[in-house]
Amino acid sequence: MQPLRSSEGSASTLVEAPGAAPLVGAPVARLDAARLLRGQGRYIADIERAGMLHACFVRSPHAHARLGAVDGAAALALEGVVAVFAAADLPHQPLLDSVRIEGLRKTPQPALASERVRFHGEPVAVVLASSRARAEDGAELVRVEYEPLAPVLDPEAAAAGAGPDLFEGGNLLYRGEIVAGDVEAAFAAADHVVSARYHGNRYAAVPMEARGCVAEHDPGSGELTLWCSTQGPHQLRRRLSQTIGLPESHVRVIAPDVGGAFGQKIPAHAEEVAIALAARAVGRPVRWIEDRLENLLAAPHAKEQLIETELALAADGTFLGLRARILGDAGAYSHNSTSALIEPYLSAGLMPGVYRIRDYRCEILAAVTNKSPVAPYRGVGWTAGHTARELLIEKAARQLGVDPAQLRRRNMVDSFPYESCTGMLYDSGSYVASLDRALAEIGYEELRREGGPPAAGQPAVGVGVSPYVEPTGWGSDGALQSRWSFASHDSVRIEIDPSGAVTAAVGTPSQGQGHETMLAQIVADGLGVELDRVRVVSGDTSGTPISTAGTRASRTAVVVGGALALAAEELRAKLERIAAYLLDAEPDQVRIEAGRFAVAGDSAREATLREVAEVAFYDPALRARLPDPSLSVSRFHDPPASYANGCVVALVAVDVETGAVTLRRLLSVEDCGTVVNPALVDGQVRGALAQGVGGALLEQVRYGADGTMLSGDLRRYKLPKATDLPAIELHHECSPSPFTVNGMKGVGESGAIAAPGAVAAAVADAVAHLGVEIESLPIDTDRIVAAAAAERS
Amino acid sequence: MSEPGRISIELTVNGEAHRGEVEPRTTLADFLREELRLTGTHVGCEDGFCGACTVHLDGASARSCLLYAVQAAGREVRTVESLAGPDGELHPLQEAFRRNHGLQCGFCTPGMLMSALELVESRAGGDPPDEGEIRAAIAGNICRCTGYQGIVEAISEALDDRAGTAE
Repeated sequence: MQPLRSSEGSASTLVEAPGAAPLVGAPVARLDAARLLRGQGRYIADIERAGMLHACFVRSPHAHARLGAVDGAAALALEGVVAVFAAADLPHQPLLDSVRIEGLRKTPQPALASERVRFHGEPVAVVLASSRARAEDGAELVRVEYEPLAPVLDPEAAAAGAGPDLFEGGNLLYRGEIVAGDVEAAFAAADHVVSARYHGNRYAAVPMEARGCVAEHDPGSGELTLWCSTQGPHQLRRRLSQTIGLPESHVRVIAPDVGGAFGQKIPAHAEEVAIALAARAVGRPVRWIEDRLENLLAAPHAKEQLIETELALAADGTFLGLRARILGDAGAYSHNSTSALIEPYLSAGLMPGVYRIRDYRCEILAAVTNKSPVAPYRGVGWTAGHTARELLIEKAARQLGVDPAQLRRRNMVDSFPYESCTGMLYDSGSYVASLDRALAEIGYEELRREGGPPAAGQPAVGVGVSPYVEPTGWGSDGALQSRWSFASHDSVRIEIDPSGAVTAAVGTPSQGQGHETMLAQIVADGLGVELDRVRVVSGDTSGTPISTAGTRASRTAVVVGGALALAAEELRAKLERIAAYLLDAEPDQVRIEAGRFAVAGDSAREATLREVAEVAFYDPALRARLPDPSLSVSRFHDPPASYANGCVVALVAVDVETGAVTLRRLLSVEDCGTVVNPALVDGQVRGALAQGVGGALLEQVRYGADGTMLSGDLRRYKLPKATDLPAIELHHECSPSPFTVNGMKGVGESGAIAAPGAVAAAVADAVAHLGVEIESLPIDTDRIVAAAAAERS
Repeated sequence: MSEPGRISIELTVNGEAHRGEVEPRTTLADFLREELRLTGTHVGCEDGFCGACTVHLDGASARSCLLYAVQAAGREVRTVESLAGPDGELHPLQEAFRRNHGLQCGFCTPGMLMSALELVESRAGGDPPDEGEIRAAIAGNICRCTGYQGIVEAISEALDDRAGTAE
């Protein structure tokens, strides 16, 4: 298939469902938009079951403590409170991380804490009552004995063995290394060595719908049903089965509408296991809706890494070698989403980025601390590493007195496929072209000419360039190239019923991406039918084929879309054979287009899809010709790795007297290969950029010295508002993957990976005259103000 | 007479008269969602910050999570469910959101629509607001998915359409 998208412009006008192919490449309006706009979405809090109880968790007020008796008597005396459960009341197996990496220690996580609490907000007991308000009243009356322990908050101290151990064996869970080439020789030969430190901030996905679930156990069949705001129903089914001790056949997970997820809803959460156990124990359905404080406190955090980098350069600016040390702060458990290595390990693998670096060594460490555990969040692992590397290059450019964009350009990968020194096979890309395009669109040369220290009273203006490569479309191969042992494949099923309606069943639910529309476009094109004939269903383990990984890692278009394209091709061939029987023609004479079959050269002979489906199901004579006329095709797919790329540029103005940073322009050139739906792609790119800007300027989970979380509401944990963002400028390049169906690559995380680096580099550029280095995010405005004040005095 | 600890209220919601018995602490958001089953109004923070629960109270936007149901007694409440026609036909503002990809997960969308509606209705006949004013009008509604651009474009289009209709 040819790329269907020119490199010009972005989709601004959506089209209504067009009748004819090709739909792939068209900015089709979301098929499910009207329902959501009318307020008819069905999220967890909208699900009611007969006899349903409401849950509220009792959570630890301490970061680290020995746990004594839990007494629910006073709560149980309250009208409306039905049950109070602590760990001892709900026996289960603990949650464990799922990766197989040698040397990584396991940290069993109970659904309700027993013996020890390891972070502020860890669930200790659950109260069930007739209403949420009554459950909260009850939770306030549950008495818990704690014997506080010293909290371990600094990951360096944790890694060094200071402070009480959270687990037997110490707080350092992993120490390992990636070695490529001969980095010592590279540094010995260098004309310049530049080093930098970067503390990647701890921030969080903060979906607008917080976590939640409804559990119902049927004692007759023994089946447990969990409606859950999750990205991976099959993965959650597996974890529930393992922890609760029911066979997977007796666990059904249903993801209804999910109000944003961004990675936070990949794991099985301790609370979900507890609610499932509680519903079984109490014999009634139970609903748990997390409030915002709980979400900021106890839902997984993300991204925190301490990174030291060192770059060896030749006199002409050629990168010779890279050294790094990456320490991930895993929080209190090596989380079941993946593990404590999710941040530092992925970061280390992609550290060379878009640059030709052959000699590389990276030390990787992961430590537990008394904070909420770390789990995936959009751009997982890569955000901090990318930002650290781009800030290092920025610093190198200043030290060498060369233009930072040109320094990047000189060292970029420019031929494909390219195998990185960490084993990633970059399939195709437009690394240099995307950079050049971004520089041209922002007017880089003019900005550079205007650069320099600001006039008195004027804001300091800076520009930051952040070219990226993003592993996308994770099948098992993509995961493996990120050094991650991880089953990441999908099966799909396409069925046509006797009325001619098409249903595609997939295991990857949507959390707002618009997958139903994008996948329907692929199916409609593949079958040769109209878009409105196709319905994509997902999210229910009882009705959809297995997705081992779920919706994550920018994989739905490539893996599930690829599977559907292959299944559709097979089903189309079968339909044409049946149509040939019906129309008394040879199969190769029959073509389906827009849901109608025609015989080549004979316009009189025609059939509708409904007529063909009718024959397939109900004409016994067909069986003689075609023993299996069923209109159902299943397909497994586990494609090779693919890598998207692009470049983000930020233009900032910094008021050095107040520290206020204004994002004047934010521009991205995106190349995700063949685009299925440009409008949906642009939505994903913009959304990720906004989250990246949040991470760069606003967002940080903060803890006090005693381990108490301090950022428990949206005033103290600031999310980007409409007034914090400029109109985002998007441009597109298109380098189809040679390895995937249709040349598709994944999309949706690039802005979260590359925008913080662009903003950080822009601010670094703006305040370079003050001698301020950017060594952490969000931007430390106090430091800028202090440097400006020092300069004035 | 109401039950002990409960207060009887009467109010108008989306043009219909309703009666209810509520605890004094029941928020308007919970009353709409749980008693009237109008689940289009979403609760995102229970703290007045995210705006997902925005409704109109006597014609002005209000946070239904920060109001007690009893405070709405005798008043007129309008929720997202009032926008579409009886056969589901989208309101022009909803239609603009659909055309401009002004939503992703849909959770903030009802509150966003109600804030946008206030802007659209208040500016009827006047000069159309510029992009900065549109952004300011929705600055109390957090969207985590879209980066706001589709939303801003949708509101801008709805304002243009309305201006076009008025001329």
